[in-house]
Amino acid sequence: MDRFNFINPFGVRYQPDTVAGDFYTNNFAKKAESNTIILNLGPQHPSTHGVLRVIVELDGEYVLRAEPVLGYLHRMHEKMGEVKTPWQFLPNMGRVDYLHPIAWNWVHVGAVERLAGITVPERAEYLRVISCELNRVASHLMWWGAFVMDLGGVTPILYAFEEREKINDILQIVSGSRLTISYFRFGGVSADADDRFLRLTAEFVPYLRQRLKMYQALVTDNIILRRRLEKVGPIGVDMCQRYGATGPVLRAAGLNRDTRRDIPYSVYPKFDFNIPTGPVDDCLGRYLVRLAEIEASLSIIEQALESLPAGPILPPKAPKPTFKLPAGESYFAVEGARGQIGLHLISDGGKTPYRVKLRAPGFSNLSLFAEAARGTLLADAIAILGSLDLVIPEVDR
Amino acid sequence: MPSLDSRIARWRQIGTLSISRHDFRVEGLLLSAVVALDKLLEFVKTLYIDGFTLLDISTLQAKEGFLITYHFDSINDPGRLALRVLVPTNNPVVPSLNNIFQGAEWHERESTDFFGVRFSGNPNPVPLLLPDDFDGPPPLLKSPESLAPLSALGLFGTIESAEPAFAALIDPKADQG
Amino acid sequence: MALSLVNFVVVIAAVLLIIGLMVVNAVIMVYAERKTAGFIQRRPGPYEVGPWGTVQAICDSMKLLGKQIFIPGNVDWILFFAAPVLAFFPVLLLFLPIPFGPYLTALKVDEGILLILAFAGFGVISNILAGWASNNKYGLLGAARAVSQSVAYEIPMIMALLGVIFLTGSMNLTQIVERQGAWPWQWNLAVQPLAFFIYVVSMVGETNRAPFDLPEAESELTAGFHTEYSGMGFALFFLSEYANMLLVCCVCATFFLGGWRGPFLDGFWWTFIKAYALMMFIVWIRWTFPRVRFDQLLNINWKWLLPLSILNLWITAVILKFVD
Repeated sequence: MDRFNFINPFGVRYQPDTVAGDFYTNNFAKKAESNTIILNLGPQHPSTHGVLRVIVELDGEYVLRAEPVLGYLHRMHEKMGEVKTPWQFLPNMGRVDYLHPIAWNWVHVGAVERLAGITVPERAEYLRVISCELNRVASHLMWWGAFVMDLGGVTPILYAFEEREKINDILQIVSGSRLTISYFRFGGVSADADDRFLRLTAEFVPYLRQRLKMYQALVTDNIILRRRLEKVGPIGVDMCQRYGATGPVLRAAGLNRDTRRDIPYSVYPKFDFNIPTGPVDDCLGRYLVRLAEIEASLSIIEQALESLPAGPILPPKAPKPTFKLPAGESYFAVEGARGQIGLHLISDGGKTPYRVKLRAPGFSNLSLFAEAARGTLLADAIAILGSLDLVIPEVDR
Repeated sequence: MPSLDSRIARWRQIGTLSISRHDFRVEGLLLSAVVALDKLLEFVKTLYIDGFTLLDISTLQAKEGFLITYHFDSINDPGRLALRVLVPTNNPVVPSLNNIFQGAEWHERESTDFFGVRFSGNPNPVPLLLPDDFDGPPPLLKSPESLAPLSALGLFGTIESAEPAFAALIDPKADQG
Repeated sequence: MALSLVNFVVVIAAVLLIIGLMVVNAVIMVYAERKTAGFIQRRPGPYEVGPWGTVQAICDSMKLLGKQIFIPGNVDWILFFAAPVLAFFPVLLLFLPIPFGPYLTALKVDEGILLILAFAGFGVISNILAGWASNNKYGLLGAARAVSQSVAYEIPMIMALLGVIFLTGSMNLTQIVERQGAWPWQWNLAVQPLAFFIYVVSMVGETNRAPFDLPEAESELTAGFHTEYSGMGFALFFLSEYANMLLVCCVCATFFLGGWRGPFLDGFWWTFIKAYALMMFIVWIRWTFPRVRFDQLLNINWKWLLPLSILNLWITAVILKFVD
């Protein structure tokens, strides 16, 4: 320090004792080996999609250990669920997962409808399916772009944004918003689909199918992309089981599990759709599963548009904002873009629920990252992180 | 997956405090059981062997203490089960599931953050969602006057069997009588 | 060559011109790159400032000039500031032996390419210094990557150039150009296609451009070795990156594409047309492909480019022996 122990022309004094990190870094460093680097990826880092922070211990470029640190976007939705009436809590759901807000809409209204015994008119169910699947397509597209960007390809995300804009335009017609959508109401949906919505949706399906072919040629078949993803970050069935991973991560592991079919809700049993499962459980498998899911969602949208019944969009005795939930417990799960979303609702019969517990699929999916990233290269760890499709507000809730 | 009846029989063999069947369409659950703390890991082990995965851990504060619900879903056949344990409010310590389901670590840390329930055996018991320097009571703790008794929450569906001492806690009819 | 007073004045004038060229090159390339990226990504690119956004790059450089030079705590500030300067100034020297035109060569030396290759090594030293001195783990990782990448990719690059040097029998860049004809089939490209391919790949690797931009891999290392640099520090790295690109492209044009010789009318314009065409090629692949992984990057080099370049050299030598 002798050499540095003066104030340099910019007024910065060398301070030998200011190297220590914060609580989490120190906690992580307790188990560190000697001669390793402890690196904080995030909370501000280009590939942690928002404000995830991952502490990694590196030996050269190899990740010895990794630990995600959460909570930078924690908003305590569960507490808000307890102090707000279900009606007041409804807009919160669009904020939990900004890429697939409609699935979160659904899980909340679904849990309330289950508990209160509300039946939903058929047209509303169809509109729910259409909007939820459109939103899922948008979410997967966004993931696709961001994932390729994690791998260093900066162009696809702008292509993905263009398609996502079209979906946002469509969803805006019925829901009035583009990002934090709150379209569902207890017993139905907030607005009926007009001709423009139906026409644009019907036009969008073949359009996107055509575009997907281009993406296949442009990105999926690219040799650099393939080599970056093949045999990287295998996540098998056993790991999924131990960590509770669901959604595309589980399906890429080869299990044909999809809440839409396994624990059917709404009118999904009426549709014939393919549930893609991965040929391989590595990053490439998860990539291919998500792209195939876009196709599956498009097919559902097409079928739903064909058989969209006429009728009301809210039941005659739809709950008023002042309604009270009966006492009891309900657990409702829907298939979100990232996996099984669950809402555990417990009411004591009062104005507000007694307890609301949100089950975020990203939370469980991210928890396996530490194990999956062990021993990989830093670049591979980033690829694995991207392949889990994380939306940090959802993980932190 | 064994049928519900055989699962109930197996659970009874290990010994539960109560078992209830649920109406899946209303509550989203097939079966739930309240188990004693010392037998929790044994139950969880059988579920792991039968191919269940831990969906989440949801803690609930009631008058009698913390009711911790572990939601399980089979990865082969769908159908949700729940295991519950009841721990006292003044000293809430639950064994950690981390050795069986590593995913439990985060759910448990979340529960520690929100309710102050401690999980013995959790490998990394530091705050997960709340900041490390958060001072204040756990945010989801309720004030004593707003606490509801377990029997008023309608958590226990159709009670299949219950230990007599426990039945008094959960059965609304027993409460009235 | 005796360094007479006239030569001295010529070199000084050339250095000034080259500084001008570097700055103009950076401004043009920033604009061209952003516009190209825009078209590849189906968006307009810069279009607000000036006609078609042409003034945007100048405004950006003004912004960089005016920005605070932020110096992080605990850095070795002498090395911290030496690094960008060291990245910038050697590039000036590198342009001296390049024959832009028949009469537009600052320093006609017999070992021109040797001079270029020798001084090109300075670039990597500046990267190490920048990564090391900025007291940043990302910087350090980026510097480590930069070293192994530059060292690795210099070898096939030299091997590829050696093929042409064998053919010409000279390391004098002017002579290399003069030995080639005006039309594409008279260029060295026609006789050394493999060497050209190897050179182009290593050229991208050597200049740390995507898909080989590992030292500054944004999604992994935020910005790699220049993470902590702002303002002019960053601008100097930026300038030298584009200058390095122009340099390797000029060398490529000289060695393989006939330099200033071209159809109809020889002249410096051909050097620039060829060099900028190559630069646009580099820009094009940057915005099209994802990034390779570091082990793959080294595998491409050690397992493919190096054996291929040795093979190329060997074949060239054997053919020359028999032809003679």
